[in-house]
Amino acid sequence: MTTRRRLLGAALASTLVGLPTAAGAVDIKVVTTRLGFTVWLVQDKSVPVLSLSFSLPGGTASDPAGQSGVTSLMATLLTDGAGWLDGQAFRQHLEDAAASLRFGASLDRLGGSLRVLAATRDEGFELLRLALTQARFAPDMIEQRRTQTIASLNQASQRPSSVAARTLMATEFAGYPYAADPDGTPDDLRKLTAHDLERRAAALLERRGLVIAVVGDIAADDLVRRLDHVFGGLPAGAPPQALPAWTPPTRPRTVVVERPMPQSTALLALPGVLRHDPDWYAVVALNHILGGGGQRSRLFTEVREKRGLAYGASSSLRAYAKAGLIVISTASANERIAETLDVVRTVLARLRAEGPTEQELADAKTYLGGALSLSLDSSPAIAGLLLSMQVDDLSPDHLTRRDKLIEAVTLDDVRRLAHRLLNDELLTTVVVGKPAGIVTDP
Amino acid sequence: MLGGLAAGAALAPVWPACAKLLSVGRRQVDTFSLSNGLQVVALPSSRAPIVTQLLVYKVGSADEVPGKTGIAHFLEHMMFKGTDIVGPSEFSRVVSKNGGRDNAYTTYDSTGYYQTVSPDRLELVMRMEADRMANLRMTEKELAPERQVVLEERRMRIDNSPSALLDEVVNERLYGQGQPYGMPISGTVADVEALTLADLREFYRQHYMPNNAILIVGGDITSEQVRGLAERFYGPIPARPVAPRRRPDHGASGLPQTVSRADPRVREPRWSRHYLAPSYNKGESQYAYALQVLAQLLGGTETSRLWRVLVVDGKRALSAWAGYRPNSLGLASFDIGIHPAASVTMAEVESAVTAELGRLIDGGVGNDELERAQNQMLASAIYAQDSLQSGPRIYGGTLSTGSTVADIAAWPERISSVRPDDVVAAARHVWQPQRLVTSLLTPPSGIR
Repeated sequence: MTTRRRLLGAALASTLVGLPTAAGAVDIKVVTTRLGFTVWLVQDKSVPVLSLSFSLPGGTASDPAGQSGVTSLMATLLTDGAGWLDGQAFRQHLEDAAASLRFGASLDRLGGSLRVLAATRDEGFELLRLALTQARFAPDMIEQRRTQTIASLNQASQRPSSVAARTLMATEFAGYPYAADPDGTPDDLRKLTAHDLERRAAALLERRGLVIAVVGDIAADDLVRRLDHVFGGLPAGAPPQALPAWTPPTRPRTVVVERPMPQSTALLALPGVLRHDPDWYAVVALNHILGGGGQRSRLFTEVREKRGLAYGASSSLRAYAKAGLIVISTASANERIAETLDVVRTVLARLRAEGPTEQELADAKTYLGGALSLSLDSSPAIAGLLLSMQVDDLSPDHLTRRDKLIEAVTLDDVRRLAHRLLNDELLTTVVVGKPAGIVTDP
Repeated sequence: MLGGLAAGAALAPVWPACAKLLSVGRRQVDTFSLSNGLQVVALPSSRAPIVTQLLVYKVGSADEVPGKTGIAHFLEHMMFKGTDIVGPSEFSRVVSKNGGRDNAYTTYDSTGYYQTVSPDRLELVMRMEADRMANLRMTEKELAPERQVVLEERRMRIDNSPSALLDEVVNERLYGQGQPYGMPISGTVADVEALTLADLREFYRQHYMPNNAILIVGGDITSEQVRGLAERFYGPIPARPVAPRRRPDHGASGLPQTVSRADPRVREPRWSRHYLAPSYNKGESQYAYALQVLAQLLGGTETSRLWRVLVVDGKRALSAWAGYRPNSLGLASFDIGIHPAASVTMAEVESAVTAELGRLIDGGVGNDELERAQNQMLASAIYAQDSLQSGPRIYGGTLSTGSTVADIAAWPERISSVRPDDVVAAARHVWQPQRLVTSLLTPPSGIR
């Protein structure tokens, strides 16, 4: 087959192109197309591969009432047949081009990514264009994906990590759009029609707010021409309605979900800060010291290292468009989970009262300075970073300014934020399993 | 119009030339051994200012004995507990302080330790990795809490997961109770509770030495630099005698068997089949490459035979897959799995799959589907080059299970030279009742 021969050619090309790109620098070019799309491009000829990521405002949190799951299901169906290609034919074309094309929705945005060989990019871009502008939403594919989604929701309802994650969102965001399951409820999913899906696609797939990132072996003028062809078929559109402001919970709450498991899985959440907050990097450092990046945080040391209470004890930041969270995750045998949670609360209280040490902050800065470049080990990873920088309204030179922002964080900043954020009066706790000595708050 | 696809059809490079070129190694790879027997692989790539050190020991859970299961994995945890010069639990702290990350893993056949750092910190992590190869200190004080951590890890990965619990039973039936792959990697709870400091020290003494390890360094560094650092830090550690590794030539007797688990934590049933199969290094290994292609075209993607027949056309399944991993020192398994649709019984799934396997053996394999499968596999090898992490992992997994750097270089050519008849012959060889364990995972109401 011809495609295969071209693939072998690509394999060869990479032998010859052993030449490195400039080490270290991620050289971002900002290019504007004739139709006015802006794309951030990193050219890299070291591997004959092209990665494209894009996203648009509007996600699962704005699913229309009674249609929970419509955005996720629509995103899945975009690659299940388009134009004159049915679902199987569309996938075969993707496979013959050795391309991967995926769409997905977060709470706030709809996104997609294409990975294709430089040698088969014609096919890859064309399939992306078809998916964006001529998706079929054929009845048999809707049925298949609907049934699979409901089955996967069923199974997730028994998986402790999934139940904990779901319950945390439902509790923390009760009464707010972020509370709903992004994949929908089985009842809503059963009612969705082809018309609902088409309407949702039409509402979201528009040019407004589109951000694009490309990494790989392609010339800027070639890329610009292709992007206009791919995205030019979308209507201009109007900005989607923004979600209302979120009011964080004002009292602590514990929710236990009983499941017949030997180990209890726990998630704890505190309100954090938004990505635009001037204190963002101070909170990043605080999280690192509490339970982030790597294995030697306060939570890891107190819960795992000293007491052997859990395999994992960590914290992470979540930055949604309208809410920030600090989320702590751990799991212990049912009879020990109460002790584990006591230790977690003690760690929070102490860090809140005393703040971190100079040494902890200095170590956090070293780690955070290096951590980003460690994660940039593939073209999809770099494309993902370029995309999130655009979503967060950062400038292309942010990567060079980031080190200074981290360096500028002071011990007083982190102490102030520890005192403000690590407040157990605002703590939401979710436990899934058969925990001894923990009950749901009335 | 799909202009690209039409344009593609016009291109016609000469096939034999491509085949020849395929055999050329695509990564720059340099390999050599130190005088103490440490095998070293350098994978230089200056794409990003990152370097990964992976040290793989040629020992895994399958080198344990019944009654002492879980020891390879427990020791992996204890390797972070310090030496004479690195304090207890300081290892990862030092890596993190230097802007790096580190972790470790245990498989049936190998135990690996890795760090990703900036190139100027490679010397530091290599010094520390070499140090704990020879000078690990383990104390009761560190052992007691870590035993609980290991048990919590087992609860999380296995005991909280009905499918993982069933898979432990499948492996016991397939490879034999107390046989290398019939014992769980995480060990049994009773064994892990009973392991002593003396057990761990003895396992460390028997298996952790330069002549039983492979050092892989990938990233922004030259092969000469890797050689210099390796000789400086690992070179002084003396070789010691190492016992040969044993993997049986046969699996369990008394097959076929069916095992089932009815569990209140299961909402969606799963039907699967597991056939004892040759690996690259054990059994009729001439079938290994054809079996990889077979797994891909039978159940590797949503255009594969099983998916098309059971999910798309027949609507008898929600999903269908096949898998085969020949990177194994002992025998491997060829697996098929189905999530049945709501109204479909396990017996109906079984007869549908059986019919499909028969159709492949009787009707053969078409050139188009074969080439599509090969195409996907070659593409995955090219995409693997796009990730700096994947290189060390591929080399670590392959070299610790008896294959060579040359085998990795020849893989694309071996995959693309598989012909339709090879696939059918491999299927005939493996799809035999005396190699088969069927497993059924169901809700408590039992088997539909």
